Amino acid sequence: MSAIEALITELARLPGIGRKTAQRLTFHLLQQPPEQAGRLASALVAVSERVRPCEQCGNLTEEQPCAICRDPRRDPALLCVVEDASAVAVVDRSTDFRGRYHVLGGRLSPLDGIGPESLRLDPLVARVRGGEVREVILATNPSMEGEVTATYIQQLLAGLNVRVTRLARGLPMGGDLEYVDGVTLAHALVARQEVS
Amino acid sequence: MRLRRLVARGFRNLADLDRELPPGGVALLGANAQGKTNLLEAVYYPVLFRSLRGAPDQEVARFEGPGFTVEAEVEAGPTATVAASYAAAGRRKRISVDGEEPARLADAVGAWLAVSFLPDDVALATGNAAVRRAYLDRLLALADRRYLRALSHYRAALAQRNSALRQGRSEVASAFDAPLAQAGAEIVAARERWTGEAAERFTAEFECLGEGAGTRLHYRCGEGLGQAESWRPALAEAMARDLARGMTSVGPHRDDLVLELGGKPLREFGSNGQQRAAAVALKLIELASLRAARGTEPALLLDDVFAAFDRDRQARLARRLLAGPERQVFLTAPRADELPPGLDLPVWRVENGRVIA
Ligand SMILES: Nc1ncnc2c1ncn2[C@@H]1O[C@H](COP(=O)(O)OP(=O)(O)OP(=O)(O)O)[C@@H](O)[C@H]1O
Ligand SMILES: [Mg+2]
Ligand SMILES: [Zn+2]
Repeated sequence: MSAIEALITELARLPGIGRKTAQRLTFHLLQQPPEQAGRLASALVAVSERVRPCEQCGNLTEEQPCAICRDPRRDPALLCVVEDASAVAVVDRSTDFRGRYHVLGGRLSPLDGIGPESLRLDPLVARVRGGEVREVILATNPSMEGEVTATYIQQLLAGLNVRVTRLARGLPMGGDLEYVDGVTLAHALVARQEVS
Repeated sequence: MRLRRLVARGFRNLADLDRELPPGGVALLGANAQGKTNLLEAVYYPVLFRSLRGAPDQEVARFEGPGFTVEAEVEAGPTATVAASYAAAGRRKRISVDGEEPARLADAVGAWLAVSFLPDDVALATGNAAVRRAYLDRLLALADRRYLRALSHYRAALAQRNSALRQGRSEVASAFDAPLAQAGAEIVAARERWTGEAAERFTAEFECLGEGAGTRLHYRCGEGLGQAESWRPALAEAMARDLARGMTSVGPHRDDLVLELGGKPLREFGSNGQQRAAAVALKLIELASLRAARGTEPALLLDDVFAAFDRDRQARLARRLLAGPERQVFLTAPRADELPPGLDLPVWRVENGRVIA
């Protein structure tokens, strides 16, 4: 395989990038000064060599434990459970949450061969058993599999002395009630709030 | 609702076409294998964004062609343009309504409404339960988008649950009970509600088609599954069996819309004429249900249906199917003398994929 072909093939493996885009990116890189490609290559190598999952929370980090787990101002009593490390950044950036995280590394999906043993559930139970955690906030994605994973964890933690909460699910902003699906509507009704 | 203009490119054996359609519809005449059914298929494609014969998109695309485009300019109060194109390379499908791509396919479904009646549809009476479930699903999805959402949630939960069962993981399978129950109950409740309303109409239509009295239509499903609460015990009870079989045995994917004549299944004991009449009756009810749910008259697509009936039945059928000034009808027949008597539609000829008005 030629060098060009090899790069196209590798890029096309990335999510959201088809063969056409991979070709475009490859030829774009080839038109840049060689240092550009060099910087990209060394950034890739650095990431793959230095970044590892945090041994405590599963977040991606260059140091053990990660900056969030090390931060003494973070409330160790609050644990936010997310599917992927990318969600840590999202929740941390857009909310006031200042507890700690636990990354599952996916969600239950038998069709993809992902069972409970593929998720970081044992470390989660161990952290809760450690006694410091008061509340586990289940922040899995609002997809069917995310919901199922949340329910599964809720049952897993049922015997332990910890409060378990789930992110509220409700109506999307900018929607039309008529087109909201029954499941979402039912959730929104159950989770209705006092307005007066 | 009327189709004002149809554009089809790269579709089956049809020569690329862009045509205005008469408000009352057309009769499509032509010898075998010229493209009459293909044209009906193009008309129906933007209803559900799939082939009315159930063919995958790559088969709908013209042989050796790059893909197809269908565009329907629909008049339903305001005009809407519903378009779909399929690229064979990458097998990608694009859908738009008035030039905008909806977030989900479900959001575009129902912008153009039609009911099709093909020779194979007699299987509604003679075929297995899957045929009738497909009938219910199509009809209810077009009547209410929430049904379509429930259906896709249900299928997703069922696929996951069955996969866990095949892996022998009952605790993982049970984790999918909640979404399965939620969506499944919605589906069962909608089907039960519909059947309750349609039952009387079915009996009346059947009689009206001259096939006698004593028919009954009812929905057969697991006890109480129209309520989500009933699911947990039902699923728990079936768990051992389901694990052994590697599939979920409870739920609307196992139900049936039962047709009976004199207390006996029509499928086994009905005559050919009775079975055909039952299928026609279901189609008429599909039309009426969609009209009631959507407040507009769907178009009617009839593929070669009259040939199978004798002259007397043809006349009765024509009266029922072609009634109503609002209804746009597209029908096919090999020759003019096979059209039902008293039909007053402009005739288009279809020859080797070309439409000659
Ligand atoms: N994807 C395709 N590309 C090109 N031709 C196709 C494709 N699919 C089917 N055909 C051709 O279209 C023709 C059939 O057209 P169609 O089914 O519309 O016939 P018809 O006019 O309805 O005939 P009949 O009266 O027998 O029902 C066949 O010759 C078939 O080979
Ligand atoms: Mg045909
Ligand atoms: Zn950490």
